[in-house]
Amino acid sequence: MNQAENAFLEAESRRAEAVAQTLLLVALVVGITVALSLIMGRAGERIATQLCISIAAIVSLAVFSGNSGIVSFGHAAFMGLGAYLSGILTMPAAIQGSALPNLPAFLADYELGLFASLAVVALFGAAVALLIGLPIARLNGASATIATLGILIIVHSVLVGTRDITRGSQTFFGVPRVTTLEVALGAAIVFICLARLYRESRYGLMLRAVRDNEPAAVAMGIEPRRARLIAWVASGALATVAGALYGHMLGAFSPRDFYFALTFSMVAMLVVGGMLTVSGAVVGVIVVTLLQDSVRQIEGGFALGPIEVPQIFGLTTATLGIVILLVIWLRPRGLLGYREASLPFLERLAAQAMSRLGSLVPLGRGRASVETDADLDHSRDGVSIKGLTKHFKGLTAVDEASFSVPAGKVTGLIGPNGAGKSTIVNLMTGQLPASAGAVRLGSVDLLDLPAYRIAHLGVARTFQNNRLFEDLTVYENVLVPALAIGASRQEAAQLVAHELNALDLLDVAHDRAGSLPYGARKRLEIARCLALRPILLVLDEPAAGMNPEETADLAERLARLGHEHGYATLLIDHDLGFVNRLSSSIVVVNRGRVIAIGTPEQIQTNPDVIEAYIGTGRARSEEPEPVPLSPSITLTAKGETP
Amino acid sequence: MPLDLFIQQLVNALSLGGIYALLALGLAVVFSIIRLINFAHGEIMTVGGYGVFFSLLLGWPIPAAIIVGVSMSIIAAVAMERLAFRAMKGASVVSLLITSFAISEILKVLFQNGISARPKPIALPSELSGSYEVGGIVIGVIPTLSIAITLISLTVLTAFLRRTTTGLAMRAAAEDFDMVRLLGVRAGGVVAAAFALSGLLAGIAAVIWTAQRGSVDPLMGFFPVLKAFIATVLGGLGSLSGAVLGGFVVGAIEVFSQAFLPESLSPYRDAIVLGSVILILLVRPEGLIPPARVDRS
Repeated sequence: MNQAENAFLEAESRRAEAVAQTLLLVALVVGITVALSLIMGRAGERIATQLCISIAAIVSLAVFSGNSGIVSFGHAAFMGLGAYLSGILTMPAAIQGSALPNLPAFLADYELGLFASLAVVALFGAAVALLIGLPIARLNGASATIATLGILIIVHSVLVGTRDITRGSQTFFGVPRVTTLEVALGAAIVFICLARLYRESRYGLMLRAVRDNEPAAVAMGIEPRRARLIAWVASGALATVAGALYGHMLGAFSPRDFYFALTFSMVAMLVVGGMLTVSGAVVGVIVVTLLQDSVRQIEGGFALGPIEVPQIFGLTTATLGIVILLVIWLRPRGLLGYREASLPFLERLAAQAMSRLGSLVPLGRGRASVETDADLDHSRDGVSIKGLTKHFKGLTAVDEASFSVPAGKVTGLIGPNGAGKSTIVNLMTGQLPASAGAVRLGSVDLLDLPAYRIAHLGVARTFQNNRLFEDLTVYENVLVPALAIGASRQEAAQLVAHELNALDLLDVAHDRAGSLPYGARKRLEIARCLALRPILLVLDEPAAGMNPEETADLAERLARLGHEHGYATLLIDHDLGFVNRLSSSIVVVNRGRVIAIGTPEQIQTNPDVIEAYIGTGRARSEEPEPVPLSPSITLTAKGETP
Repeated sequence: MPLDLFIQQLVNALSLGGIYALLALGLAVVFSIIRLINFAHGEIMTVGGYGVFFSLLLGWPIPAAIIVGVSMSIIAAVAMERLAFRAMKGASVVSLLITSFAISEILKVLFQNGISARPKPIALPSELSGSYEVGGIVIGVIPTLSIAITLISLTVLTAFLRRTTTGLAMRAAAEDFDMVRLLGVRAGGVVAAAFALSGLLAGIAAVIWTAQRGSVDPLMGFFPVLKAFIATVLGGLGSLSGAVLGGFVVGAIEVFSQAFLPESLSPYRDAIVLGSVILILLVRPEGLIPPARVDRS
């Protein structure tokens, strides 16, 4: 089977899988709705309506929280905004006149239909989310969560404060009860589909990569702030619509209905099922709703045989609390974990149906081709580093380092521990701001660019301590950088299939990256870099922790891949045999300074290098002997024990 | 602005900000070490308030009631660590946060059913509720005591963190817990000490808050702790000095916006306070005093 076909089949099967999983969820929701209405009649329909609205709300929340890993307490506020706005827009003029006598004219007398109102509400939600999102997207995870709590309080106090519009803390009434069971069920299905589409879209994937490992995501060309902001705005708009539907279900409500109690039950629903997946959100809603409804039956007091149990205030809340604790202690990732719920036979069915439709629907309609920078034509010369310097407080970690990394060749970068090798890499790839110097790729100075832009120019790096997107599959790990640099779905699929094949990862393509053994993890990091179509590949200790056979295998692969792609390689490793074998030239650094540059042979006999590694005594001997650098020997700096 | 009014409001700002600072510092000490945003911190404070309430109900003298209140907060904090968080070693920030959220809700229900959903009044001796005059400016006794207690607590705590081995270990753990563990400091001990310290601070805050409000209720700690959360983010989440500064800033914004903005804006007080904080964060997303933290790549 050739590469293109392979890629096509892989992408098709992924799509079939996603379609089947979505169908399963839809079937589950429809099934429960029908079952509730049939078994319990009117009461069942009421529960089912509530359930469907909750699904819409939690799925909206999951669009942000599930993909970004940042819990939001602010979504109840979006719901409140939606409920009030839609209530005002749809309210019959006569009721509006008596309920809201002081309503400002620009809000009065629209009498919109439900769907027209929802469209306005969605736009309003998106606008508010954008406004709020600008500061929030800048904050890191925990701070962002607390900021969303601030949003909840702000919106609550605004709803209470704007009495002319909301009747303040009094009940807001006269909202048409137009959220029927059919509307609610339709909304739940639409929301589930939208959430799945977002999750599998390039923005969803990119955000999940940020969630799993932000520095690696940046190094793969993703701008975290932008990825978070897109999800936040989409999620906020959806939640506002869900809130409007909730309002049209209740008919009368007050700001209290959109405060901590709602937030708590939303978070419970999100966490119980598992926030990593859309299925988790849906299952969480079902479990929590059914539980809440059962507990509510006994909350008002009941008779247990001869014993009269009195009314217990807040029993539902306490039960939810205990359920959350049990789920977190026993299954920290929620009932469903990190995988979408699926049935194999549904997947086969979807795959068959899609292969029939396949000719009608072209695979992916991304941008025509990967963006190319005109300047990059000059980059055939590789990368040159001039006077690169980094001061940390009182310490000069890199001191005027200058060397070049020519295209098509491997340049080794060695030096004792703490010499500044990783700092040089972090400066070149924009993870750290440099104090002075230049890193030229063609006519571009990389130091002027943010890290994710450097990746777009074709500078790819691995990390010393292996930063994978742990909760994504192996396939997705490689897909992310391909999409981040703007490849179309089709190109990306081919690129991924090619790189997975090159690094022997096709068999584990569908496994979660976090479940891979060590050697495969190291290979996956390299595959991920190759999907960026690198001009410069920076490998930070790729052979660390490998046994001699694995190291030899890696060396052979790297040589072959470098030859095939023609990129420049900067290779850092402590295994000098490995570095010698691959490099055409070697740069030696010690205490932040470049102390020698030359071929491996020259470096092995250079007295300064030997001194740096072994100590002065040895270097002063009359005739410097070549240090025996066999693959199995790793040199360490003086004063250290290997 | 007349000077005397300004000084009176300054006293109010310091006394409210002091409470936020104590709470925020307690949150920051715990967060910086185990990355827990402790939602149940408010309930630790509430426990302290009930401690004071029941002691006075039993007719004990005020100093005894204060000691009981503060001790109960410490016990509640340490028990929480022992029962809920110790088993969660290595859990994600989200798991820890949600756990504390759940605990907070459960405790509130317990208070509501076990004690009372309504505020319980506390009778304070009349000399405490009075005021005095300095150069024509009337200042309340309780705000003055609050400021004094806050400042003494913060000074003693600073000395503790700077001068004692445990304090040093805690400050080191705040920057790099893994390294502290590698150096042979007992990790469990540091975490327990952090919780005890946060309980102590919440207990002191509870005593001051109870004295100011004259009543105790199940939500007593919840709302001030929300402000304290915001204060920790404003100061720089994980930064101890930032938390204290953030607490005072939030308190000052709250008091001054209430005192000097037109009456018609008063329902929006919380929106104004939090909105200003979020605007500051737009300019300084890392907070006022960003934490020093080790991040190995």
